[in-house]
Amino acid sequence: MNLFTQSIISGLMSGAVYALLAVGLVIAYRTTRVVNLAHGESYVVGGLAIAMLADQGVPAWLAVAAGIAASAAFGYAVERVFLRPRVSWPVPSLILVTLGISFFVRGVMLLVAGIDPLSFPRLVAGPPLRIAGGAMPQQGIALLAVAIVAAIGISLFLSRTRRGRQLRATAEHPDAAQLMGVNVFAARSLAFIIAGGLGGLSAALLVPLVPVDFQAGLGMTLRGFIAAALAGMSPTASMVSGLALGLFEAFVTGYLGALAQDPIVFLILIGIAVWRSRGIRFGGGARA
Amino acid sequence: MNRYRVLQGALVALCVASPFFGIPGWTVAVATISALTAVALIGLDMIFGVAGMLAFGQAAFVALPGYTAGMLEKFGAPVWIAIAAGVAGTVLLARLVAEFFVRLPGVYFALGTLGFAFVVEGLARAFPDWSGGASGLVFESGRNIGVEVWYAAAALLLAAGIAFHVWLLRGGLARTLSTVRHDELAAAVIGIDVARAKARIFTIGGAYCAMAGICIAYYVGVVVPESAGVNRSLEYVGTVLLGGLGTAYGPAVGTVLLQWLFVVAGYGKRYELLIYGVAFLGAVLYARNGIVGLLAQPWRSLRLALQPAEKTPHQPLLAGVGARIDTAPPGLTGECLRVSGISKYFGGVLALKDVSFSVDYGEIFTIVGPNGAGKTTLFNIISGIEPASEGAVAVDGRDLSHVPIHAHAPIIGRSFQVARLVPELTALENVLSRLDQIAPELSESEKRSTAWAQLAAFELDALADRPAHTLSVGQHKLIDLARAAVGEPRLVLLDEPAVGLARGELDHLRALLLQLRSHGRAVIVVEHNIDFVASVADRGVVLDGGIMIARGPVADILADPNVREAYFGVLE
Repeated sequence: MNLFTQSIISGLMSGAVYALLAVGLVIAYRTTRVVNLAHGESYVVGGLAIAMLADQGVPAWLAVAAGIAASAAFGYAVERVFLRPRVSWPVPSLILVTLGISFFVRGVMLLVAGIDPLSFPRLVAGPPLRIAGGAMPQQGIALLAVAIVAAIGISLFLSRTRRGRQLRATAEHPDAAQLMGVNVFAARSLAFIIAGGLGGLSAALLVPLVPVDFQAGLGMTLRGFIAAALAGMSPTASMVSGLALGLFEAFVTGYLGALAQDPIVFLILIGIAVWRSRGIRFGGGARA
Repeated sequence: MNRYRVLQGALVALCVASPFFGIPGWTVAVATISALTAVALIGLDMIFGVAGMLAFGQAAFVALPGYTAGMLEKFGAPVWIAIAAGVAGTVLLARLVAEFFVRLPGVYFALGTLGFAFVVEGLARAFPDWSGGASGLVFESGRNIGVEVWYAAAALLLAAGIAFHVWLLRGGLARTLSTVRHDELAAAVIGIDVARAKARIFTIGGAYCAMAGICIAYYVGVVVPESAGVNRSLEYVGTVLLGGLGTAYGPAVGTVLLQWLFVVAGYGKRYELLIYGVAFLGAVLYARNGIVGLLAQPWRSLRLALQPAEKTPHQPLLAGVGARIDTAPPGLTGECLRVSGISKYFGGVLALKDVSFSVDYGEIFTIVGPNGAGKTTLFNIISGIEPASEGAVAVDGRDLSHVPIHAHAPIIGRSFQVARLVPELTALENVLSRLDQIAPELSESEKRSTAWAQLAAFELDALADRPAHTLSVGQHKLIDLARAAVGEPRLVLLDEPAVGLARGELDHLRALLLQLRSHGRAVIVVEHNIDFVASVADRGVVLDGGIMIARGPVADILADPNVREAYFGVLE
């Protein structure tokens, strides 16, 4: 097996998922100004739900639909139940709320799904494709294709539809959007539903290849954030940076070993945090 | 010895002796680990609760001293050297991390610290030859010490930790950090070096974690990668939240409660995470001051019942006058401020174009102009908040362009269009917090009497001990003005001081301005209330669309036809 090709293949697969997570994180962030630290839990909730339903003998397509719905509902709940009633809170407090949600969900998932990683059968079976000394599972091809279609779909939705434009207006200037008759809260809910749904979709595609456990969420959130921050919080560019992050990670794992992945990737996170906030003073933008 | 002190002493004794009462699950061993963890969490609470920094990776600083000492021991260092190096190295690292992190705004600080915990845990796993990998490093020396000795040491360390917290955060530093936590810009404007204050508290908090961490490593006998990681860090945050943010006792209360709960519940790891999660989320959503916050009110009533309050009135030392902080030597005359050729662009948008004027000591100067004329931008440039695109600002001939914001405070006092007070501090404390910075040489009682006299000048002395969030908008405005002018800095900038003031309050404002002038200070007022401006100001400039359209004595500029057209929109 060719390590180089194989690294590219597995990098593209995980990168596609990071990209989808980043897109969700960005649209939720842009509409509410809150970096949702519970975003990765939508991946975990969806993945574990599908795995447990499939284990109970529920047909695969139904389990997947239910899992994605659960993730979308989770996203909606974060916005509707936790963030909306506290819209007047300062942003750091709201970030703390999302971190609390993530922590709480992890505790629930440990009880419900247990400590071991879970998985479920691939939706797209069949022998892997052999490309230049690497093996690409057909599920992986489906994953890439669906991720790209989903990303294009999201950007079309944001630019072409009335709802999408309302969402962008809310992101740009919530007060002005509200004055123009946009239901800002509905737009935020929609953003979180989409973000959660994308998390569930990622899980449906990746978990058959890489099992998920109860505590995967925060790592996923942070990888999504790295991709999003590299892309300057732009949903379209996040697609590229997500793939790049996946590739980078796969090469680190392939050539330096799996244990090197966390220190190196999170050193990058620290670097990004320092780099992104250069020039920002006092949280930025306050009128003195 | 009053009854309150007796009660306090009895409670402490009761707590210390509690592991010997046979309470189910509350053994000496559990009490020891709780006390040691509580010490680390006092450190976390200083960073997170007191200074408001979202430190989500603090477990790394608890595990690192153990790892450092363990590795040194493994390579043959004597145990005492290993311990000293572990603690010192961790404190130094905390200082270094602070250097990079304290400038990061809210969420970036949070993500940076999360990343730090991931990195430390990852490194511990990635180098098993040094760190023992997943099974961790083992410490032998702690086993030779008896359980009771460990417990006594842990209890003493906790007592010392709480005492140091109380001592450190009395008076000035507590006010400084409250201001930083609530509003970094306002903090800088009143003279706080925000980055330095945050770096200091981060290092002190890190030192708490390092000292607790080394004890935990030798007491437990092993340090594993998870103990440095994100999950452990978030458990720590949850415990502090449950106990009570920003309090000396909260971390201990939270730790003891949770540790004991896990032991008596006996469910092991399965429910532990959920309990932490519920504590974390519940405290964030419904009890921002945790258990200690919930108990604060009954405790205060109990205290009052046992120990009738002795009023500590903030009477000035000398009747009617506070200590005068002379930032301008008496008899200073001539030019104070010179603004030369200031232009400011935001992107391609022009906010100010080639504005020049000078202000003399003993003069009230005014900047008038319609909304969006660039008045506040000009104030921001003079007070160092924003750099000018072109031009220079000088006070007493000294160029201030590259002086950091907080270093302007001793010479420039500034108020805000919308008052920026710290809501949980009292009116007096808000005024004091500027004095803490510009007059550190004064004693606490001198500062208090100065601040009190300043409030009295606005007839606000009756409200001195009321938290700012209980006061009205107009009162906020006056306190903000009082804060800007306290200590009589040589240059006072007031941004729309008359807005929202009632007639009587306007008279206080006018009296204050005239007093500053008669003391030789330079005063600049941005104001829309033309009658008020005309009644106090000597000279001024008029801005329109960022361009200076008139400059000179107030009576002249207000009569200028161009000004009347731009400002009042009338052509007579």
